[in-house]
Amino acid sequence: MAKELLLSGCAAAAQAVKMARVDVICSYPIRPYTAAMMELAKMVNNGELDAEFVHGEGEHAQLAVVYGASAAGARVFTGSSGVGVTYAFENYSPISGGRLPVQMMIADRALDPPGDFGSEHTDAMSARDQGWIMGWAETPQEAFDNHLINYRIGEDRRVMLPQFVCQDGYFVSHIPGKVKIPDQAQVDEFLPPYAPGTHVLDPQQPCSHGPQIRPDQGAIMDLQRGEAFLNLPPVIEEVIDGYNRIMGRSYSPWVEEFMTGDAEIAFFLQGAHAATARHAIRHLRDQGVKAGLVKLRFVRPWPARQVAESLSKFKAVGVIETSTSYGGSMRGGNLLAEVRASLYDLPERPLTTSFMAGLGGDVIPLQEFYWMAQKLADAAKAGRVEKTVYWAGLEH
Amino acid sequence: MSVPVKTQNLPPIKKLRNIPKEEQYVPGHRTCAGCGPALQYRLVAKAAGPNTIFLGPTGCMYVANASYLCTPYQVPWIHTQITNGGAVAAGVEAAYQVRIRKGTWKGELPNVIVMAGDGGSSDIGLQAMSALMYRGHDVLFVCYDNESYANTGIQTSPTTPYGSNTTFTPPGKAVPEGKKLFPKDVPQLVIGAHPAVKYVATASVAYPLDLMNKVRKALNHKGPTFLHIHAPCPKGWKFDESKTVEIARLAIETGMWSVYEWEDGEYRYQYKPKQYKPVREYLRTQKRFAHLQEEHIAKMQAFVDARVKSPGVPVNVPLPGPREQP
Amino acid sequence: MFEIPKDRAVPFGCVTAAPVGEQPMMITGNWREYRPVLDQEKCNLCMNCVAFCPDACWQLDGAEEEVVWNAKYCKGCLICVNECSTDALSKAYELDFPDGVVRLEKPF
Repeated sequence: MAKELLLSGCAAAAQAVKMARVDVICSYPIRPYTAAMMELAKMVNNGELDAEFVHGEGEHAQLAVVYGASAAGARVFTGSSGVGVTYAFENYSPISGGRLPVQMMIADRALDPPGDFGSEHTDAMSARDQGWIMGWAETPQEAFDNHLINYRIGEDRRVMLPQFVCQDGYFVSHIPGKVKIPDQAQVDEFLPPYAPGTHVLDPQQPCSHGPQIRPDQGAIMDLQRGEAFLNLPPVIEEVIDGYNRIMGRSYSPWVEEFMTGDAEIAFFLQGAHAATARHAIRHLRDQGVKAGLVKLRFVRPWPARQVAESLSKFKAVGVIETSTSYGGSMRGGNLLAEVRASLYDLPERPLTTSFMAGLGGDVIPLQEFYWMAQKLADAAKAGRVEKTVYWAGLEH
Repeated sequence: MSVPVKTQNLPPIKKLRNIPKEEQYVPGHRTCAGCGPALQYRLVAKAAGPNTIFLGPTGCMYVANASYLCTPYQVPWIHTQITNGGAVAAGVEAAYQVRIRKGTWKGELPNVIVMAGDGGSSDIGLQAMSALMYRGHDVLFVCYDNESYANTGIQTSPTTPYGSNTTFTPPGKAVPEGKKLFPKDVPQLVIGAHPAVKYVATASVAYPLDLMNKVRKALNHKGPTFLHIHAPCPKGWKFDESKTVEIARLAIETGMWSVYEWEDGEYRYQYKPKQYKPVREYLRTQKRFAHLQEEHIAKMQAFVDARVKSPGVPVNVPLPGPREQP
Repeated sequence: MFEIPKDRAVPFGCVTAAPVGEQPMMITGNWREYRPVLDQEKCNLCMNCVAFCPDACWQLDGAEEEVVWNAKYCKGCLICVNECSTDALSKAYELDFPDGVVRLEKPF
């Protein structure tokens, strides 16, 4: 029966994966995503979930196991955090190039050195070139919904791509929130069984999966995924539309706007810090500052047109970077360069800068949002930004 | 692991005249003329039959077979990284367990066979191989041992014999023997360490019937099994390509390779010589050993003398006509 | 939108059809310098050549009365000649034969 539960992001993910009737799960413990696997282990061993629960010997093995299982026609689930995500790296391209709709949960975590269990997006973001769908959940509800949505998108015959379903470590993975759980019947209506097609490993219809190609075929092989990503946005819109209809949600597929109607400055971000941002914006509004928030749902495929449309109405935009890209063009994180690229062709562009914030699992205090807002207001007044990146809380 | 569903019983093949006629590893592959690994692949595939899925970690039995956009595998096959043959096999087997259980695939649980080189089994692939053995998946892991990372141009691996000339262990003034390290004992990495494993065997292309029957025996066993197959490499070991089988036989006659089974805790030897020939007879057939001096050959002989005493002291097993080590 | 030249095409997900019986995209008969020659009179059907060929180029014929050689794929490694138990097999220079060295328009 449809019900509302108080679940952490990990528990919500496990619930969604169970309702998706997953076939093969491969686990390996690493903070903070481990709790999702602990929940699934309980479900399997209690007989509530009929799936193979394979104890992987490491994160690299996790991705290898689900590569094999997906190629053999199973709906699969795995996950990791932090250095686990980077240890598994070798397998990401073979999975996406092999067009296997593997689903991997990433409860993000700062990369070593040193050991830091706190949230940072760099682990997942470093894999954004590997040909996987990728996006962040802000709340346990979004985490639950995103897992189901991503299975449906990834397994669509027009797509056949793997998905990184991300959520902020601890802020989402561990702090409970209200999650509306649909009926199993609703989930079954939205997500049909995985129909693998003819590129499955099956002695009854043999095929050879992944022989060598010549160098002059390399571009064509890459183009397959290039084309798949070009064809992806309409499928995503279709799927989210269907999800909204069946489950009674109202997600917009690409960007979610908050108090942007008459905003002059705006924050642009993905993930959990949106919650603090909204509080900050309400306070700023009370002080007469016309601020708004634009939250990104998918970082791959990056919705350039929708980002441009959404941001073009502001005078100054501050991109919150919860990840690092040392030596990059924007001298800070990953998102600002993509935002500027999206805005490049507009006849009139907003001013843009970025703020390194929330790194290492730190909260972004309201004070920091007010400080950032001041920087944006100053820039709007001056008609130019001082620089492309500020390390929030660490400079004047 | 879950309940295995394999009920097949592949019968032993009594003589060469009775080997199955159908090839599952067909002519038309880019392996070297006289390739030992290709020969063992053909025999393994033949013994396993059509209800089989092969996993191909990167190596000669991937690259030389899968160039370009074509393979000789008549049965389903998937490429894996050299690091993870065991892990991908585990995923394939798990998928079939659940699909058969849920009724989304109908048939006999396929033979799932990893075809990994010595590097993909004992070196970079060791972790995945061991985890597969530990978790009890119904998978046969075959290590085809050509004693090097051959596909990348013959580099040393943990099974390369002491004193071998490889491109990472070239003999020179400072290191006259070339390779200083003695090799890992690969079956011993599996035997006794993994409770779910009940059958481990070594084989050689010199004795194809024995090889094929061990494949069938392993596949008939429920749970994980391991085969270590000696597969001489004309290019890497530097001998005439017509001598592949002859050199495999000589390896057994000199103690450089032992043929045995380990089943439910008991060792059984096959083709154990009554009297071992000196290793120098083996070493002089391959140019990879041409640089060795007497002191190196003596070290090799000492190593082989000790190795043929283990694993397990040859006990009086009452079949078939055991020989005592002189 | 894109024009892919046919000879550079790659199937979906790089998944190719499995071969049946032989892999004609990798014909190797043009590799050999020597070929094995069988004196049927001396052959006792010991099956060594059938068992030891890495390329499956010796097969029992349909009637199971003699072994037949595959000229299309034989690489000329001569393992069979080396292992023949009755000296029925010997080697001969490929170019001595009118059908010697299968010459193809394209190497592969």
